[in-house]
Amino acid sequence: MAEKVELNEIEVWDGNYAVSQALRQAQIDVVAAYPITPSTPIVENYGSYVANGLVDGEFVMVESEHAAMSACVGAAAAGGRVATATSSQGFMLMIEVLYQASGMRVPLVLTVVNRAVASPLNVQGDHGDMYAGRDSGWVQIDAFNAQEAYDLTLCAFKIGEDMRVRLPVMVHQDGFLTSHTAQNVRPLQDEEAYKFVGDYKPYEEMLDFTKAVTYGAQTEENWHFEHKAKQHKALFDSAKVIDEVFAEFKKLTGREYKRVESYMMEDAEVAIVALGSSVETVRYAAEQLREEGIKAGVVAPRCFRPFPFDEIKEALANVKSVAVLDRSAPMGAMGALFNEVSSALYTLENRPFVTNYIYGLGGRDFSIEQAKTILKEQKANADADDITTNIQQFIGVRGPKLGFFETKRS
Amino acid sequence: MAITSIKNLKEFSTVNERFEGAHLLCPGCAHSMIVRELMNATDDNLVIATNTGCLEVSTAVYPYTSWDTSWIHIGFENAASAISGAEAMYKARKRKGTLKDPDAPVKFVAFGGDGSTYDIGFQWLSGAIERGHDFTYICLDNENYANTGGQRSSSTPIGAHTSTAQAGRVSYGKKQKKKDMIAIMAAHGAPYVAQLAPNKWKIMAKGFQKALETEGPCFINTVSACTTEWKFNPKDTIHLTDLATDTLMFPVYEIINGTELNILYRPKNVLPVEEYLAAQGRYKHLFKPENKHVIEKIQKEIDAKWEYLQRREEARV
Amino acid sequence: MSKGVLATEKRGMRELGAEKAVGWDVVTQGTLLYPFESELKDVAHIRPEERPYSDFNSYTATVASWRVVKPVYNRDVCIDCQNCWVWCPDTSIISRDKQMLGIDYDHCKGCGVCAEVCPTNPKSLIMFAEAEEIEDALAKWPEKKKKAK
Repeated sequence: MAEKVELNEIEVWDGNYAVSQALRQAQIDVVAAYPITPSTPIVENYGSYVANGLVDGEFVMVESEHAAMSACVGAAAAGGRVATATSSQGFMLMIEVLYQASGMRVPLVLTVVNRAVASPLNVQGDHGDMYAGRDSGWVQIDAFNAQEAYDLTLCAFKIGEDMRVRLPVMVHQDGFLTSHTAQNVRPLQDEEAYKFVGDYKPYEEMLDFTKAVTYGAQTEENWHFEHKAKQHKALFDSAKVIDEVFAEFKKLTGREYKRVESYMMEDAEVAIVALGSSVETVRYAAEQLREEGIKAGVVAPRCFRPFPFDEIKEALANVKSVAVLDRSAPMGAMGALFNEVSSALYTLENRPFVTNYIYGLGGRDFSIEQAKTILKEQKANADADDITTNIQQFIGVRGPKLGFFETKRS
Repeated sequence: MAITSIKNLKEFSTVNERFEGAHLLCPGCAHSMIVRELMNATDDNLVIATNTGCLEVSTAVYPYTSWDTSWIHIGFENAASAISGAEAMYKARKRKGTLKDPDAPVKFVAFGGDGSTYDIGFQWLSGAIERGHDFTYICLDNENYANTGGQRSSSTPIGAHTSTAQAGRVSYGKKQKKKDMIAIMAAHGAPYVAQLAPNKWKIMAKGFQKALETEGPCFINTVSACTTEWKFNPKDTIHLTDLATDTLMFPVYEIINGTELNILYRPKNVLPVEEYLAAQGRYKHLFKPENKHVIEKIQKEIDAKWEYLQRREEARV
Repeated sequence: MSKGVLATEKRGMRELGAEKAVGWDVVTQGTLLYPFESELKDVAHIRPEERPYSDFNSYTATVASWRVVKPVYNRDVCIDCQNCWVWCPDTSIISRDKQMLGIDYDHCKGCGVCAEVCPTNPKSLIMFAEAEEIEDALAKWPEKKKKAK
């Protein structure tokens, strides 16, 4: 039996350390992993727990991320709690198996420390890897700081392993900005944390030899569509369970999570929609603009998949202009978050103007000033009752102003 | 472990099959002969992972399964990782006491074709062997990507015609030699590595049992004659495999702990390789006068390999 | 042949592809398939005829239509060597208690391996056209071949 660890009421942890502590407390049966910057410390920390008898499970250090996710799927099908961590190129190498994991409906937790995707090679945080997972059939939850990374990792097990869900879950945090920034974190004690996550409940496990099971059958045109439809519905239906788990977590800790986090939106005239560590930056910018008399607010999807269409629509129903921030190179299209948010807003009777800002690629700093500029441009749109900028703009890139699409409503 | 009696075929035939009919493998396919024999060699519970390939696409097509045991297929390259994960989960749950029946005996097995073993899944297999998981990996070696219509793999022998290494006016088929997977696996230090053939059913069953009994990662390359891509009459699968082992194109041997090599079958009359080549459509072109040198080359290599194996066996190193 | 050992005698027998096509809401979760209908311990110790095969098990399906020639079994010459059993790729030689009982025509694809590896003289398994009646085939059974000197 693994030794318990006494934790302080407030610990100073970075995002990686917070996640590895959550993994330790969840008493995982199998962690199969491969190190990659900036998520490596999650695996290293976990390795130190293994070496010091603080965890009971198996720790399988495989030869690639593809093998890591493959071993995780094999382990999950064998009926126990499973987790791993990755970033960027490692995430890209895993992608084939991400689809296979969700298609087989095995719950497992992947903690993703978001990092730009090469080429050019870059180790800093942007959302290129997170976006690449958006069609993979996983629940994707986004943490904006170390505390949230800890909390949401615990929640992830409970969500994915729920019998009504049985889907794999990713918990995202921003590379370096969150993963390597030490912050105050209020952890749960080991027993409390494990009690919240609960014992793993095996379902159709390969190690129950009284009930043989075949995992990974082939389906062609006569069956594939039905299976994918069922999987899609399961992912949408997980929203209810996510809400329940968040509610239970609030009861335990007082910390409240919602699938869409709204900040100062009650009377907001303009808003930013963003993901990741930038959410805290834009909240601060919005506060400052409020002092200047601009009614600014911030909307942040906590849950990237299943995408919270209704909640986004509701959160932005009364604003006049919205800036949607994408921290991933959109490559010949609008940003993915812009597209999702726009589609959520399209059926509003008085839909706001929606513009798209590409920012922070490869870990480029995103400042409060830039966030304020974006909000001020929304205010200008609201006042002009038209879009006064390009629909898509790059912010923070050197060189002449870069924008696309001048389509105006009038 | 509980092994099945293989004293003679009559005894062996009293086992209860766990690989069911109405799978979709071609008539006369050696894959299912090998899979049946593996599953019949033990009465322990089995957890089986299978790479994408002929075996997988023929035995688990929704809504049918031919597997009476736990079975998983993830992708083309990763059965070795899948079985690693399942084996690790077994260890963890056994230690934690969360298994439904902790005393039930179980063996972990992975199957792959030569495409997934020699080529696309090579790294995954190497990793799993290096990590020392307790499992047996069986390569169903039919020397080509048969599932997708017979493309070359790194297991395809020199001179064979495949759809991506074709014989034509200026080509005698594949130009490169077959990869020596047995040597590579032995070099990993795996406790048991062997090349076995279904025509020698008893040697094969014994080898399977040895691998299943051995703790740690074991690798077995099995000769799986492919009627469709090697181009011979389905009824002749065993006859063709006889030619494979008796010409020494496929020597039957084992390597224990990476060093101790034992030849398991010595043909009384070693046949010239022409007899094996002539029995298959994929080598037809080699009998044209301009390609005769390839046959000579193949024979030379077989002779050299046999000499090497015998000397290794003698030297015990 | 003893009763109960043929796949045909199991419920659910059907041509591959002729299964009931159900809607997305009732397909199995995660495309999982269950070979048995109820719990079954130690499968390796339970004879096929005693197993609760589910409709998902290919055992309950047939590939008989693949066949153009079929093996016919002649009990009178058989020595129960089990060569046909060990090399049948389709689990279609039914052997119980060291005895060859016959052929599972639901799963046999007619490859002819069994007839080829049969060592008796004359052979105990011979391939005939699919349409040939078993009785007619047996009536045509060849005589023992004399060894060529």
